[in-house]
Amino acid sequence: MSLLATAAVIATTVIAYPLADMLGVEAIAMLYLLAIMVVALRLARGPAFLAAGLSVAMFDYFFVPPRLTFAVKDPRHWLSFAAMIAVGVVVSTLVLRMRTQAEEAQRSRLIARTEELRSALLSAVSHDLRTPLATITGAATRLRDDGRAQVDAEEARALIGSICDEAEHLELLLTNLLDMTRVESGMLDVRREWVPVEEIVGAALTRMEQRLRDRVVEVRAPDDARLAAVDPVLFAQVIVNLLENALKYTPPESPIEIEVVGDESGFRVVVQDRGPGFEEGQIERIFEKFVRGSHVGISGAGLGLAICRGIVEAHGGTISAANRSGGGALFTIQVPQRESPPLVPSEVLESNASEAA
Amino acid sequence: MTDTSLLALVVEDDPSMARFLRATLEGNGFRVVSASLAREALALFTSHNPAIVLLDMGLPDGDGLSVTKQLRASSGVPIVILSARGREAEKVEALDAGADDYVTKPFGTNELVARIRVALRHAAREESAAPERVVVGPLVIDRDKRLVTLDGNVIRLTPIEYKMLALLAKHLGKVVTHKQMLTEVWGPSYTQQTHYLRVHMAELRRKLETQAARPRFVTTEAGVGYRLRES
Repeated sequence: MSLLATAAVIATTVIAYPLADMLGVEAIAMLYLLAIMVVALRLARGPAFLAAGLSVAMFDYFFVPPRLTFAVKDPRHWLSFAAMIAVGVVVSTLVLRMRTQAEEAQRSRLIARTEELRSALLSAVSHDLRTPLATITGAATRLRDDGRAQVDAEEARALIGSICDEAEHLELLLTNLLDMTRVESGMLDVRREWVPVEEIVGAALTRMEQRLRDRVVEVRAPDDARLAAVDPVLFAQVIVNLLENALKYTPPESPIEIEVVGDESGFRVVVQDRGPGFEEGQIERIFEKFVRGSHVGISGAGLGLAICRGIVEAHGGTISAANRSGGGALFTIQVPQRESPPLVPSEVLESNASEAA
Repeated sequence: MTDTSLLALVVEDDPSMARFLRATLEGNGFRVVSASLAREALALFTSHNPAIVLLDMGLPDGDGLSVTKQLRASSGVPIVILSARGREAEKVEALDAGADDYVTKPFGTNELVARIRVALRHAAREESAAPERVVVGPLVIDRDKRLVTLDGNVIRLTPIEYKMLALLAKHLGKVVTHKQMLTEVWGPSYTQQTHYLRVHMAELRRKLETQAARPRFVTTEAGVGYRLRES
């Protein structure tokens, strides 16, 4: 920065020197002031002081009569020197103050944003914890207090059903909160292993089997079992969250489609449904935390997709959402692969397993 | 009935979880003793000789892993681990140390009882011989003839695929960890080569399943291992 300041003053001198007679000493003093101001505005205080000092010296030596000496014949020039120093000091001090203020404003905006997030978390969590808890407490106390005498079999079944459903909600919420905390705190420990993506999709589908039993789920995967370097547990969670999302936002008759595509450069997983899709302006924000689809009667803290993004990005990949042509939501996960997979020794097919015995 | 019913040792420090486990087990014909500490569990095990142990992994005075190891040092009693989601490493350690299976909290009673029944059946079988013929719906694995059929049609498997399936069939209904499969099929020096296992598993599924990415026979438990399901 000092080098830049020095260069600016030297450049001013070089430009002004051949024009000295034409411009006159006062105009040249203005040129130096301009150079000092630019340095003070653009660079820090130190370089501004340096520029001011250098300008005084060069102006005095090259332009103030008697020229090419440091002697000053006319005492009025001392005023020019003072102005140069003053501009350097004052402008750079003002700039410094402005910068500090801007930084402070930014910092307080950040604090405000964190506070906002924290209170959003609190309200989302307290609401989402309380609602299922209230249902569970209500249903359980009815079963306990009224005994078998007044609760008939059908009502009991309904009460028990809602206890189970709400407990499931709570479990999901807590899992998401814990996952989100891991994503946020940078504690996400990505343990990459070489695994076919279809196996991860299969593991996610197995985990979700009970919840998906009444749904049509179509899976399309290539026949080559290409290996990808990903954390199988975390990645299965991404698929599970997308499936949870589809279950939550689409009607029971809406089919869910999963497609896996891969080549040497990476792989892509597409999860799509035939639900309501996204409203305008929603897509950009859907992966932010605490942002939820605007559908009445659907609970959730808006963490599932934010966790997906966290995990996918920790793998160096991207996740995006779009409205599907013909209606529905479409999620695309794209994960690049840098290394080529290790070789697995191939094996000769036994002519017939039964003959081997 | 009460005289012949099996005794279960429940090791769980959370009182309401322990109460739930006791109610579920008693409802399914077991007698129950419970412990909330690791050392209490070991003492009760020695004095009561239970038929099965349900072991919570997080105990106040020691982890479930060390209890598993201590029990295994002297007994072949079936051990079913109770653990949380996201703690796959813990489950794998316990399974590799000799636990029979695990359930992830929160779990339903059906799942718990199914795991216990499978573990008990395997324990009973250890004393006799493993069955030569394992039937899972349309899939038949005949270990005597080294023959695998699906809907009556012979499935041609490579030696590795057959060994993997036979191993899973031997542990029908139980999870088998990656390490256990690699050790049994490839050998003890291959325990890090999980990609061998995964590639051959994908090939095996292609032969057995209608949709390899949506398996109905051999399921994947992410981060833990594989399980051949009972029909």
